[in-house]
Amino acid sequence: MRVLIADDEVLLREGLARLLEDVGFEIAGRCGDAGALLRMVEARRPEVAIVDIRMPPHEGDDGLVAAQEIRRRHPDIGVLVLSHHLESRYAMRLLEEAPERAGYLLKDRLSDVAVLADALRRIGEGECVIDPTIVSLLVARKRQRGPLDELTEREREVLALVAEGHSNNAIGQKLYLSRKTIEAHVSQIFMKLDLRDSHDRNRRVLAVLAFLRSG
Amino acid sequence: MTVAARAAPSPRWSVPSPLRQFVPVAVFAAVATATVAIVGKRPDVARAGDSAAALAGELAGGALLVAAALAAQAWRPRPRFTGPLAAAGIGWLLFEWNSPGAGPAFTAGLVLYALWPPLLAQAALRGPDERPLGRPAVALLIVAYATSLGMLGLVAAAVYDPLAQGCLDCPANHLLVASDADSWHELGQLGLVLSVIWTAAFAVLAYGRLTRLSPAGRRVAAPVLVPAAAALALFGAAALHGRERGFMSNDPTDRALWVGEMAALAIVAVGVVWERVRSRRARSALARLVVDLGASPPPGGLEGQLADVLGDRSLRLLHSLDAEPGWIDSEGHAAALPRDADRVATSVVAGGREVSVLVHRRGLLDDPGFAQEIASAARLAIEHERLHASRRAQLERLRLSRARLVATADAHRRELERDLHDGAQQRLLTLSIAIRLARRRLGRGDPALERELAAAESELGVSLAELRELAHGLFPMVLSNEGLGAALEVLAERTPRLVTGALPDGRFAAPVESAAYFVVSEALRREPNGDVAINARREGDRLVVEVRTEAELTGEATAIEDRVGALGGALVADLHHLRAELPCGS
Repeated sequence: MRVLIADDEVLLREGLARLLEDVGFEIAGRCGDAGALLRMVEARRPEVAIVDIRMPPHEGDDGLVAAQEIRRRHPDIGVLVLSHHLESRYAMRLLEEAPERAGYLLKDRLSDVAVLADALRRIGEGECVIDPTIVSLLVARKRQRGPLDELTEREREVLALVAEGHSNNAIGQKLYLSRKTIEAHVSQIFMKLDLRDSHDRNRRVLAVLAFLRSG
Repeated sequence: MTVAARAAPSPRWSVPSPLRQFVPVAVFAAVATATVAIVGKRPDVARAGDSAAALAGELAGGALLVAAALAAQAWRPRPRFTGPLAAAGIGWLLFEWNSPGAGPAFTAGLVLYALWPPLLAQAALRGPDERPLGRPAVALLIVAYATSLGMLGLVAAAVYDPLAQGCLDCPANHLLVASDADSWHELGQLGLVLSVIWTAAFAVLAYGRLTRLSPAGRRVAAPVLVPAAAALALFGAAALHGRERGFMSNDPTDRALWVGEMAALAIVAVGVVWERVRSRRARSALARLVVDLGASPPPGGLEGQLADVLGDRSLRLLHSLDAEPGWIDSEGHAAALPRDADRVATSVVAGGREVSVLVHRRGLLDDPGFAQEIASAARLAIEHERLHASRRAQLERLRLSRARLVATADAHRRELERDLHDGAQQRLLTLSIAIRLARRRLGRGDPALERELAAAESELGVSLAELRELAHGLFPMVLSNEGLGAALEVLAERTPRLVTGALPDGRFAAPVESAAYFVVSEALRREPNGDVAINARREGDRLVVEVRTEAELTGEATAIEDRVGALGGALVADLHHLRAELPCGS
């Protein structure tokens, strides 16, 4: 798989490139700011671009803005945004226009090459990926009594995995349950939360995230 | 404390000397005595005739003008107004001297009998506030004097031979140059026609002047100008009546007009005194003001009270600051002195320093004596208000300095947050990637070393998480990027026990947003375990942040008070509830 790395910290960029090469990824290019990223994506057409949220010139959310631009211009190229921000806000901004082929991970996960590789592969296959820490914070959030209280412990587990972007198959594997069981859980959850189930897996993620964020 | 007009230097305040008063009184007494004698001798040619009441009225008309002039001069010296006015009062009697009964004064009577109208015109055009005459008025006065004193007086006298005109008992005309009855007749006709013209022109000029004056200026000028114009119009009517025969006489029409002139002169005198009555009235209002001020001067209410007393709704009272230039209003806000020509500033001076200033319509405080009285009457109140205002100004300054301190601290925290992200965090990440690479290179060769590297890597992970929390606690980027509502939402995501109610959508000034955020984060710190519910909304020009906690808030609210106070906001705090109101404009 060909990936492109955009991060303004050179050492980190190089380290990450070597790590990914080690596990069989092909590095299509490296760059350090949003402008160069957009040009390089245009020229080299990677499968996925790994983008640091914080990049020159403004050091704010330039990376996120560039990632949204890539999604708009090249729907077939995936983006994985790496962020220091634990908030679902930025993840939501990335996903709400087009949830497929997009991912949002905490930057801390970089060294965990297994997680990283898994995320890149899922994005390459058209899924969306949300950092589990962010989802668990959302699920744990204190709120006025509502439909979330009616979920069983298992259903909550399934809900969190749905929010992270996993398919029913993947959820089944993680929880050692059959696909049928997971499907039953999911439809239960959607009924209890009064959400419209969507056959598009990524739309489903978006609906769950929006529900969780609504507080 | 004294008052000085700033726009124009105040006239020198001098006590009128008894001698100066004595001169016009003595002259008037002498002229009046002579007039009584002349009228008594030949009542048949006198306007007063043989009626004692008419003579008394005639004398009273002159006396009133002289008395009014003296009084006006005593209140405030203004010789260019009072001089011609007193002279007109005396001249009014000289009309009777143009009589065979005048004896040695006959020649003077021939020359001066028609002098009072130009004198009155001059006094009225100057007005009690001694305005500059202006070109049209000067031209008019030249015509008036040339007609009355020149044509009807000196030139007519030069050709008037009493004997040749059939006045057998007339005293000698000392000014006679050549006896010429025809010329005398024509001169008289021409002079009277000119008198009609200039008195009519005076009425037009007076009307124009009154319409151009400011209301305050009109209040001063009109009581004199209007009756003077009436007196002169009656004189003009008498001139029109005598035009054919070429001289003024005492037929019934002449006498009727003369009574009217007398009444108009009396009204002029009243008009001069009226100014004084008006200022007396203002003074008694001032006295009431003093009583009111003694009772309870509301902060900032002094300006309104002075405006009422002086009848100028636009009046402003400004104060100086103790150690710096510039003016403040009663609220302590900086204020500029008005620059427009229609308004002037009258300063209140204490200890040789301009401490306060009254900004008012031009002409309102023309009498510096009155301004003086206002200053001393309201002295304590003005000083009280000034101290109050300068205290407010100082507090405001202090608040601004607090706000700057907070803003600086915020800026530093933001910078520190950025440094942590871009520096330490990136380094640690690079390090953890390096360790991971090393572990992969190592393979399964050395299990002990592999375990140690794995431990180091997980330590690094913990450090990164802690660093992220630290950076966010320093200053949440989302607050400056997306505003208060987003930042509180994010805070609620990170802090599950924080329950958010209404959150504002729009943006506020950075200090307001950061203070509101601080109220919430500080409440979370002071109530570390239980649920915390928050509500933030805009109410008019305030951002209201409310925090309710399950358990009691521990510790002091000082930190929040400081933050809210620095913005001039208000904080209500009890054990389970905080309510902060932050001014945020509208």
